[in-house]
Amino acid sequence: MPDRLDTRLSHCRVVMSALMLVAFCSVVSHGEDLPHQNAAAGDAISFELDVQPILAAQGCNAGACHGKQRGQNGFQLSLLGFDSDFDHDAIARQARGRRLSIASPESSLLLQKATAELPHGGGRKIEVGSDAYHTLLAWIRQGAPRRLADEPVLESVELKQTEFALTPSGTAELSTVATYSDATTRDVTKMTSYLSNDAAIVQVDSTGRLKAGPVPGETAVMARYMNHIRVANVSIPRTEALPDGFYDDLPRANFIDDLVYEKLSQLQIRVSEPASDAIFLRRVYTDVIGRLPSAQEAQLFLDSQDSNKREQLVDHLLEQPEYVDHWANQWADLLRPNPYRVGIKAVLNYDNWIRQQFRENVSHDEFARRLITAKGSTWHNGAATLFRDRRSPDEVATLVSQLFLGVRLDCAKCHHHPFEKWSQHDFYSFAAFFGKVGRKGTGLSPPISGGEEIVYVSTKGDVRHPVTEEVLPPAPLFGTIDLAEDDDPREALVDWMVSADNPYFAAVQVNRVWAQLMGRGIVDPVDDLRSTNPPSNPALLDALAEHFQQSGYDQKQLIKTIVLSNVYATRSTPNESNAGDRLNYSRHYRHRLRAEVLAEAVANATETSESFSALAPQSRSNQVWTHRIESVFLDTFGRPDPNQDPPCERIADSSVTQTLHLMNSREIDGRIRSDSGRAARLAGSELSAAEIVTELYLAIFSRRPTADEQRYCESLITAAGEQRRGAIEDLMWAMMNAPEFIIQN
Amino acid sequence: MAKSWTNCEGLTRRDGLKLGLGGLIAGGLSGALSARARASSAADPKHRTAQADACILVWQDGGPSHYETFDPKPDAPVEIRGAYQPIATQTPGVQFAQPMKKLAAISNDLAIVRSIRHDQGNHGAGNHYMMTGAPPRIPVGCGAFVSFHPSLGSVVAKEIGAPHGIPAYFSLPRMSRSGGPNFLGSKYAPFVVPDSPNSSSFRVRDVTIPSGLTGDRFTSRQQIRKHIDTMLRFNDASVADPTLAVDEFYGQGMQIISSKEAQAAFDIHQESDEVRDAYGRNTFGQQALLARRLVGAGVPFVTLYHGGWDHHTNIFKSLDDKLPPFEATIAALISDLKQQGMLERTLVVVLGEFGRTPKINKDGGRDHWSNAMSVMFAGGQTPGGQVVGATDRQGYAAIERVLSPENFVSTIYQKLGIDPGQMMYTPEGRPTHLVSDATPIDELMG
Repeated sequence: MPDRLDTRLSHCRVVMSALMLVAFCSVVSHGEDLPHQNAAAGDAISFELDVQPILAAQGCNAGACHGKQRGQNGFQLSLLGFDSDFDHDAIARQARGRRLSIASPESSLLLQKATAELPHGGGRKIEVGSDAYHTLLAWIRQGAPRRLADEPVLESVELKQTEFALTPSGTAELSTVATYSDATTRDVTKMTSYLSNDAAIVQVDSTGRLKAGPVPGETAVMARYMNHIRVANVSIPRTEALPDGFYDDLPRANFIDDLVYEKLSQLQIRVSEPASDAIFLRRVYTDVIGRLPSAQEAQLFLDSQDSNKREQLVDHLLEQPEYVDHWANQWADLLRPNPYRVGIKAVLNYDNWIRQQFRENVSHDEFARRLITAKGSTWHNGAATLFRDRRSPDEVATLVSQLFLGVRLDCAKCHHHPFEKWSQHDFYSFAAFFGKVGRKGTGLSPPISGGEEIVYVSTKGDVRHPVTEEVLPPAPLFGTIDLAEDDDPREALVDWMVSADNPYFAAVQVNRVWAQLMGRGIVDPVDDLRSTNPPSNPALLDALAEHFQQSGYDQKQLIKTIVLSNVYATRSTPNESNAGDRLNYSRHYRHRLRAEVLAEAVANATETSESFSALAPQSRSNQVWTHRIESVFLDTFGRPDPNQDPPCERIADSSVTQTLHLMNSREIDGRIRSDSGRAARLAGSELSAAEIVTELYLAIFSRRPTADEQRYCESLITAAGEQRRGAIEDLMWAMMNAPEFIIQN
Repeated sequence: MAKSWTNCEGLTRRDGLKLGLGGLIAGGLSGALSARARASSAADPKHRTAQADACILVWQDGGPSHYETFDPKPDAPVEIRGAYQPIATQTPGVQFAQPMKKLAAISNDLAIVRSIRHDQGNHGAGNHYMMTGAPPRIPVGCGAFVSFHPSLGSVVAKEIGAPHGIPAYFSLPRMSRSGGPNFLGSKYAPFVVPDSPNSSSFRVRDVTIPSGLTGDRFTSRQQIRKHIDTMLRFNDASVADPTLAVDEFYGQGMQIISSKEAQAAFDIHQESDEVRDAYGRNTFGQQALLARRLVGAGVPFVTLYHGGWDHHTNIFKSLDDKLPPFEATIAALISDLKQQGMLERTLVVVLGEFGRTPKINKDGGRDHWSNAMSVMFAGGQTPGGQVVGATDRQGYAAIERVLSPENFVSTIYQKLGIDPGQMMYTPEGRPTHLVSDATPIDELMG
């Protein structure tokens, strides 16, 4: 596929264009403010220091405009001006130099377009006569030089103030200062682009003015000036203070409570009430092992008077076989390749390998090591499928850095990352760790790809910088490594990744597990750790990461610590101070059960199982090893499309199709009314109506009925007399169609 | 593209988030955005100029041969032109392949585009490109919030919607590959009807109370549910309580079950034998008839998935059996829509993911070929009796009016009154153009 690389580049640009588009659409023209003070007075104008900032501030080189791949109407600039040589060439030389007219600077296409004197798709970006206009004009008049003699270089950009505490609807001003190699500084506040991470909390205009929204909250504001990025943190605490000592009096189970309460206390947000045992029970079963507790399990836990019963329960759950499949199922979403492309056998082996790691409870560093250094046949070592799926060093590098470091390098493949410090040089040096991955055997041949492939460590294999073509030796993103000539570079990479000095490895994984249990990552999206996407509670993220490192990267220990915190066991019911909190865990965030968990809940409630092709009878839905195994239920409640590369998109929300399926589907109705199901068993048993109602509530809602519910349901069963099976079926139907069944509370 | 500028005016990335505030986990986002989409599309003058209210997309999965359907090459050597002769059509100067008799007889109602091409020669990628108008995503790392482009049907469902609580996007008998809603959310996933409407006991799944259950018992189940449903609801929108969506959809589900119009749309047994016979007494024929009923009830998008077009071996033997009933059903659908006065407002599109190789291979089949494919359009004010574009003399490549999947999907969107150049937002708040090249195929726009 000769055009494959092109496709990739264009994709990258497309993604970035989209990002850049928003970054600049809101930037309105403000030609009057110029960093370079004396443009009109005849000072020499620098392309890099004076002209480029104008193009950036006006959005000319944004991804939606001339910064996108192939430019706009034949005029292409580097994205956000990261390549001044390229841009100077585009402006001064390409199109036979017609963009500039040295002889008659005012008639230069560049100016006539920017001022919309000639039709310009982007509209008028610069006013005739503004300072920006005069700067451009003077630069052209001076011969449009690429560089001035002794031109200083922009060295750093700083925000004068980075921490802001505002009152609701309050305002503040950002101030941005650029420092150059000749030790001069300029105030570039108004030439800087700003973007609020949450405009509902705080808005920022093009002049750097912050305006808080009406509600308390917090967010970050990014400032960018010529590829230098700084972040300001803005918080708007609640104005009504909490009673003195409110948090001092709250019990704490572990460091999580300390750190979450500290943050909430700063924001003057009151945490919701503790959850009941029943709520905790259902939550911890569905979160940790992906199924409902049985009636007996529920009863045992609810009846227990042991003060340590929650810890005992969690220890018990972590040893259940369902733990393996529940967590492997989530990792499969991250790793599982497209079966049509990679081959079904390789996919099966990969899936088995993932499950085996959770069965053995290997530590997370060992999990990463076995995967990233995988060798051998894709028919024998499932982990080797990673290298069948991701075939070039750059493809492996983006996957590994995102999943295991939370660093998204995709952008840096094609250009300097616009929100980050990573350059193309960084990216390809990192990719070089995978340069010696060799493959032999039968490669991909979609749509079957049935062959066996062997992954081995080759003696050669270079990765080159795509622009300079320089061969890049393997280098980590920061720090150093020791690498001997004969080593598998991947081993050295893993050593570097899992070392205690690397904060990313632990952070991204604790954040991922935290998000799965708490409904939202401390950093969100969970695997996008960067300075411009700061954690909502940095101290908490650090402490969890440290805890994870000290436990030897033990996931079970991590889960246990989180679910035994009081923060995990908070009610979802909001109070007057925390309804709007979606970041700081002051209440439990409700969510619809994941497709596999809900499917399992239906099986638990009805005592019947869905039958899957290519799986043993009685298999659970989280044991399904490829999305090609058909299930109307799983499709209806959302699972990745196996046709997609990679098949990992999940839709977690609700739909009428889901409602109708639970209400009316022949399969589910058949299972409720099955002769071997729960309703038939209960109806035929010696149990009294009262006992039946209790069992149904424990099995389906994981709680006991209230007195009113008990009375009402009993009366239904009693009134049905000999027909009580029908009444039990109706009751089960009603419970399984209630939000209490579908939504985790 | 001035469009991108006018569309993004005043909207920042985080405004997208703001609108969906709190929906990121719970699912309120798509709802909030769709409310906005409805508000804006109502005011959009383009909406008033829609040429069609609905689209029936017939998807020939596997990739039908252009040689054996709409682009015969009688002058090519025999190893290319194959076993079929060309036949004259109702339209002077236009020829179809031999088996396409019934469509040839109504060709003045059809527009054939012979020059769509792309660069994705395998099924998955080809499906994705044609079904979404976006090139397949490169294999990047999985991770949080990976999202793919939504399919035609899901976008139409979101932009147009359907009355009586009926889902706005149906796919029979399965979802086509890459036919999902992706970041638009489950609400716009296709409603799949897996069962054959040709069966005497056919019922659309899930939309009626389970058989064997009396209406009384269903009513009493509703009452029990009402009584036992005691979970607290948090109505403050900033809480983003997902139970509210469950309530909303429960109400919509009940509306479908109790709506006469909705139930009539699903009930193919109301059709006369004559009509049912005309469509063909086979699964696909009756699916096409059901599609017409759904469209008649206001459903704006129906995909008819028709598998088995991947003819690597024995293509002629296979097509001898496959094409006649298939094309007869399409012809019957178009004639019936016309008779019902619906063709003017209903777009019918027939295609697969790509065409097939010029040279017949050693197994008597043709392999994947995305350098040329033929796509059939009818209805929705598409000027009939025309062929758009052409392949070379031997059918290797589109050479005249070379068109892309982007042009293809833009045509469908434009006809339905949806601006293909509009901006959409992913759950991350990332904006993306609905179609990167929003140029429809002019000749089809009338």
